[in-house]
Amino acid sequence: MSSSPETPVIEVQALKKRLGTQDVLRGVDLQVRRGETCVVLGRSGCGKSVLLKHIIALMRPTSGRVLIEGEEITGLPERQLLDVRRKVGMLFQSAALFDSMTVEQNLAFPLKEQGIRDPKVIKERVTEALDMVDLLGAESKMPEKLSGGMRKRVGLARTVVGRPRCILYDEPTTGLDPITSDSINRLIRRLQKRISVTSVVVTHDMKTAFHCGDSIVFLHEGRVYFQGTVDQLRASTDPVITDFIEGRSGDAD
Amino acid sequence: MLTTLGRSALSFASYLGEVALLMRDTVGAILLGKIRWRLVMFQIAEMGFRSQLVVSVTGAFTGAVFAAQTYFQFHKLGMDSAVGPVVSLSMFRELGPVLTGLMVAGRVGAAIAAEIGTMKVTEQIDALRALGVQPVDYLVVPRATALMISMPLLVVECVGFSLIAGWFVATQVLGVQEAFFLENMRRYTDGYDIAWALSKGFVFGVIIVFLSCYEGLNAREGAVGVGRAPTEAVVRCSLSILISNFFLSFGLNIIFPTV
Ligand SMILES: Nc1ncnc2c1ncn2[C@@H]1O[C@H](COP(=O)(O)OP(=O)(O)OP(=O)(O)O)[C@@H](O)[C@H]1O
Ligand SMILES: [Mg+2]
Repeated sequence: MSSSPETPVIEVQALKKRLGTQDVLRGVDLQVRRGETCVVLGRSGCGKSVLLKHIIALMRPTSGRVLIEGEEITGLPERQLLDVRRKVGMLFQSAALFDSMTVEQNLAFPLKEQGIRDPKVIKERVTEALDMVDLLGAESKMPEKLSGGMRKRVGLARTVVGRPRCILYDEPTTGLDPITSDSINRLIRRLQKRISVTSVVVTHDMKTAFHCGDSIVFLHEGRVYFQGTVDQLRASTDPVITDFIEGRSGDAD
Repeated sequence: MLTTLGRSALSFASYLGEVALLMRDTVGAILLGKIRWRLVMFQIAEMGFRSQLVVSVTGAFTGAVFAAQTYFQFHKLGMDSAVGPVVSLSMFRELGPVLTGLMVAGRVGAAIAAEIGTMKVTEQIDALRALGVQPVDYLVVPRATALMISMPLLVVECVGFSLIAGWFVATQVLGVQEAFFLENMRRYTDGYDIAWALSKGFVFGVIIVFLSCYEGLNAREGAVGVGRAPTEAVVRCSLSILISNFFLSFGLNIIFPTV
């Protein structure tokens, strides 16, 4: 049970995942405490999205365990994962909006699933969430009519509208202009400060990492290569990490 | 040669097993009362209501041509009066259900597989799960319920139009005596034949919905994968309908014997 406050909200132990013939994760350990924002960095294709999908049990590990608020979710059957998933929200890399629904219906969906029936309350919460991502007025649009960045923000709004205690963000600012990115970074920070949301943020955006991260995890070759604070990351002299931060490809000129 | 045969038998068995699991999950959800009636209504309108045109046209023209052919053959033997019952029995028992099944497989099965397959590869199904919704409850249960209700009705509609068209061709065009046609048709068609049509319609509905949902849920990434799902669904549904129809006819002959 979620007993002591020291129990990490998210705990990943020795997680391994094989997809096809490829060992994507080769033993990842991760702990995120309540109210903390953990930023996950790593090269494209190194398994960041796969890691997030394990935390919300969309994928099953080959071996290893995932615990949410101290409760192991690794072996739970789908129907019992319902309660866990109510606590954890996920923003998909592709936004994954329901394309048969309008923006408003997309946002109302998680609320209705939580049993909220009052249309006034739903309307209020939807408007509030759209306001957060600066998309008021887009309620009746269909997802295919939105730009990539707008879709991302609607996805973000759909993730936060149900007020999960824990949010997994898969590249929240990719494809957004610098100003919108900044407002998303502030939003992530605000959610954490105000309602003490626990988050994992996968990103390629160093601004997001430095702005939002309490702790930083760097994935490399299926393992946690570095774990520490923002300052420790900045101070690192490891070439794998400095190349990544400064965006050097490592090819000699 | 033998190993290839063994392997395909094995993969066929595991395919059947997976479809059976999907059916079990669906029936389980239905028994738990997890039916979203609003979605069921939407699907009945989408799949049942909007299949009426294609099903009734199919029925009408099959009935018409069938009545004509029967007349051409039976007229030589002076058995004009048998045209009504022959058309009616074969439509109720075989042609009506099978043709409706094939048409609905093409229209509805393809749509189901394409829609669910697209949702799969665009992570919408993962998004449903992440929001605490079982994809089976949300996607399969409403479609299954809707088609199990609609298919028997569509079969009856198909047969109905075929009989009207058959009556028209036989009596109005070819000159079979109207009283003969109707009286004999009524005498040789009974509740069992209707039950026969309804049961087959129901079973074909089950086949279409589960095979198509399965193809959608297991669609592979990319445009090719999504494109293959509906084709695969239609082929598999059609073959399954034709093959199971043969066995159903034998089975139903025991339950609803011909008097
Ligand atoms: N469903 C899947 N089946 C097979 N392989 C997969 C699947 N999903 C991901 N992979 C593989 O796992 C590896 C990690 O994928 P993942 O999506 O986690 O990368 P990522 O770190 O999120 O990259 P990016 O930053 O580009 O989003 C990739 O090499 C990918 O090919
Ligand atoms: Mg990714």
